[in-house]
Amino acid sequence: MLRRLISRIAATFRRRRLDEEFDEEVRDHLAMLTERLVARGMDPVEARYAARRQFGAVTQMKEQLRERRALPPLDVLVQDVRHALRGLWRAKGFTAAAAATLALGIGASTAVFAVLDTVVLRPLPFAQPDRLMSFRNIDRRGHHPTNLSYPNFFDYRAQTRVFERLVCYRDAHFTLTDSVPAIRVPGEIVSWDLFPLLGVQPELGRGFLAEEEKAGTHVVVLSQGLWQSRFGGDRRIVGRKVHINGKSFMVVGVAPRGFQFPEDAPPMQLWTTIAEDASVTEETPMTEQRGARVTDTIGRLKPGVTPDRAQAQMDQIGRALALMDPDNNRNVAQTLVVPEQERLVGKTRRPLWIMLGAVMLVLLIACANVANLLLVRSTGRAREFSVRAALGASRPALLRQLLAESLMLGLPGSVGGAALSALALRGALRLAGENIPIPRIAGVSVDLRVLAFAVAAAVGTVVLFSLAPALQVMRVDVSGALKEGVANIARGRHRLRSSLVVGQIALGLVLLVGAELLIASLLYLVRRDPGFKPDHLLTFGIGLSDTRYDTAAQIGFSDRLRERLRAIPGVRIAAAGFPLPLEGFQMGISFDIEERPSPPSERPVCDMAIVTPGFFGAMGIPILRGRDFTERDDTGATRVLAVNEAFARAYFPGEDAIGKRIEPGGTNIGEKKTMMREIVGIVGNARQEPLSAKAGPIYYFPYKQLSWDVGNFVLRTAISPEQLEPAARAVLTGLDREAPMFEVRSGEERAAEAIAVPRFLTVLMSGFAGIALLLTGVGLYGVLSYTVARRQREIGVRIALGAGRRTVLSLVLQDALRMLWIGLIFGLAGAVAVQRLLQSATFGIRSSDPIFIIVACSVMAVASLAAAFIPALRAASVDPMQTLRSE
Amino acid sequence: MDMPKDHSELLQGTLDLMVLKTLDALGPLHGYGIARRIEQISEDMLRLNEGTVYASLLRLTQKGWIRSEWGASENKRRARFYSLTRAGQKQLAREAESWQRMSGVIGRVLRLERQH
Repeated sequence: MLRRLISRIAATFRRRRLDEEFDEEVRDHLAMLTERLVARGMDPVEARYAARRQFGAVTQMKEQLRERRALPPLDVLVQDVRHALRGLWRAKGFTAAAAATLALGIGASTAVFAVLDTVVLRPLPFAQPDRLMSFRNIDRRGHHPTNLSYPNFFDYRAQTRVFERLVCYRDAHFTLTDSVPAIRVPGEIVSWDLFPLLGVQPELGRGFLAEEEKAGTHVVVLSQGLWQSRFGGDRRIVGRKVHINGKSFMVVGVAPRGFQFPEDAPPMQLWTTIAEDASVTEETPMTEQRGARVTDTIGRLKPGVTPDRAQAQMDQIGRALALMDPDNNRNVAQTLVVPEQERLVGKTRRPLWIMLGAVMLVLLIACANVANLLLVRSTGRAREFSVRAALGASRPALLRQLLAESLMLGLPGSVGGAALSALALRGALRLAGENIPIPRIAGVSVDLRVLAFAVAAAVGTVVLFSLAPALQVMRVDVSGALKEGVANIARGRHRLRSSLVVGQIALGLVLLVGAELLIASLLYLVRRDPGFKPDHLLTFGIGLSDTRYDTAAQIGFSDRLRERLRAIPGVRIAAAGFPLPLEGFQMGISFDIEERPSPPSERPVCDMAIVTPGFFGAMGIPILRGRDFTERDDTGATRVLAVNEAFARAYFPGEDAIGKRIEPGGTNIGEKKTMMREIVGIVGNARQEPLSAKAGPIYYFPYKQLSWDVGNFVLRTAISPEQLEPAARAVLTGLDREAPMFEVRSGEERAAEAIAVPRFLTVLMSGFAGIALLLTGVGLYGVLSYTVARRQREIGVRIALGAGRRTVLSLVLQDALRMLWIGLIFGLAGAVAVQRLLQSATFGIRSSDPIFIIVACSVMAVASLAAAFIPALRAASVDPMQTLRSE
Repeated sequence: MDMPKDHSELLQGTLDLMVLKTLDALGPLHGYGIARRIEQISEDMLRLNEGTVYASLLRLTQKGWIRSEWGASENKRRARFYSLTRAGQKQLAREAESWQRMSGVIGRVLRLERQH
């Protein structure tokens, strides 16, 4: 096979010489044959004819061998293409339908591939990304990965023999006050060698130096975006001082364009060193607290070290740390080394692959439609092909022409598909929203790799859908088709077309079940009670400078701000708290229960939050028992706490939690010792994790007894919350011109954002299922219409013989029902598989529930019968007189 | 690809084998010579269509079983001479063996008839 191809390619370049040589060979052959016949006594003229007879059809043989010897010459291919274009132009309706269907399928699949490629497949944009590892501890309580404390990080960094570099990083927010209005930007607090670790050279200036980790240094690297927007892209920025969080920072560098670390959303605007965490005046700096697990870690493996071996060595260090400080480290002796890419996209990978699988089914369904269209067309042309075959067109020539036609059809399909995918992507990004927690999704675009995918999808599709008609051509029996007409061929083709529709129904069912599961799961998420009232709720964060506000000033500011906010007409309650519900697990602090004391490493740990009086009322979280916090719950009074119902159940089962005392590990700024605190209130379960099955336990500190942060402000409003934003902003600016207001969202927006990912996936899947249903309906409609047209004569006769309209109607519908049944049965296996596949991607439903399959089958049945009804009605309205007369 | 698909393709295979055998027996030969030899041994098989020899020669060349060179023929005319390659010799041996086995089997089958 290969040899022949090579020989043919080689021959292509010597085409003319080979042709001439062959002509010569034939000429000599004929001459010798003639001579021989003359020698036997034949008349010379007679002999020449006889020689030609004996040789066979000379011209045909020359033609045939010329074709076989080399690849088809370019002009023949051009001719094929031109012929194909002319044919397609003549059948405009067919061409438009086929190209549009193809474009739809390719557009959708290219768009999904673009998302998958950018988010999941693309390697990290750093030097030798496969050696970049995320390094974390495993907490043996609950066996979940956890961050490192600074002292532990320093020890791991000093002792590791498997990592070239180990760098810690922590998300933070920074307030820039160089100009009004002050802005608050997300930034990263990192150990000094982040840039060398990633192999990134700052565009201007330098990265950090080792000595810049020391308390008291204030250095910053700006992102391109911040440098451009805030500092006008001034190239003399390096060495200048800027005001951040009320302190003076020296700009040492500007990151290159497109640099982003970490790659999780939102984009970081600046990077500074852990000196930021080493210099705190009132309390033990974070860098010295072995119990405060605050920082993420990334490392570069030494060449040749596997992640497993690295983890083994880090485990050794972890065990030593546990022995040294069991209270803080016993629970985190185990380490976890996984590729950074895995940490980044591990959670997103599976759903996106599922989406790609789904969209591939859509593409298949689209292909089936196009193949069907091509089959109808080729049935109509069977006679044309027979005639051409009889006139001497070789099989390869016929195939070539069909292939040319398919390719000419695939071209507008793939171009249209690429255009469509760009549109679809823009729509998808808008749908996803800015704050969707899918890493790197903002960078999704149609790039070369994606275009390559589109081309591959187009070529694959073209091959797939030219296969069916091509197989038919291979079977063309010249004399048969001429003699018997096209009836036989048409019958085989009809079977093929029906099976294509059956396949569409089967695949469509799979997609329907998938969409149904996701919709049901989303409905559950939307409908279930978040534990607070998202309507008439406005929330926003504010940034206060640490240097200008000590704890007392911060408390005073919070009091004044809440008072003035409350005075705005339309505001019912103003309060503050952090973290807010639906923000996920943010702060876990372990606590000791007074009645059942235990050593530090054995203590329970759960979510906590810090809230002002009125917070529960403002959020709409019911106080079930006991009391709300008051302004008098301050450091001069008894230390108190509120807990949610889940907390009371988990830690005081069968008892009244009110009046119980626990001692959490957190202390107020300036306090040296942890304190026993009394539970004075039990509140409803406001969900912290948006997607978890049950609301977890959480306990609340009154803000004045644990004044870590001024928090997010929450307003319960009497009017629509959006209307109040300007007034709230004015109040804030009136109190402090330098305090930025950020993340201004209504409660409903927060609730929507919390389920952004499932909603995104659901909308995608539903779109796919919708397209699939439409295409399947069109396919079925096409096949039945064609059948009806072909059987018009028969139907006319039946009606003439007294068959009622209803009989005719059911005749056609029965055809549809048969395809439907078979399709549904084939689809069942896929549907069950999808139920299993989506189990982990759905919430609050039993994905294996047969009701989903029943509903999907019904939807498919209704759609199919609707599609079948039009041709059935057409059949029933056949006028027997007309059809019989036309005979 | 090389499986015979119908009667004419079966004949093609037979013709190819005969061409190979001819070149094996007589050494390098031009197309006309091959046609004469086959005419001689197969009686009427090529009678009306000896041009097909050239189709066979092209097939065998493309498979690498034979090669061709231009040389002078017996009457001093320029002619293309075909000869067997090493691969062609091996192929001939294989084919001949399978033909013999096949014809042996068929012979036995035919003899078996009407023994019940």
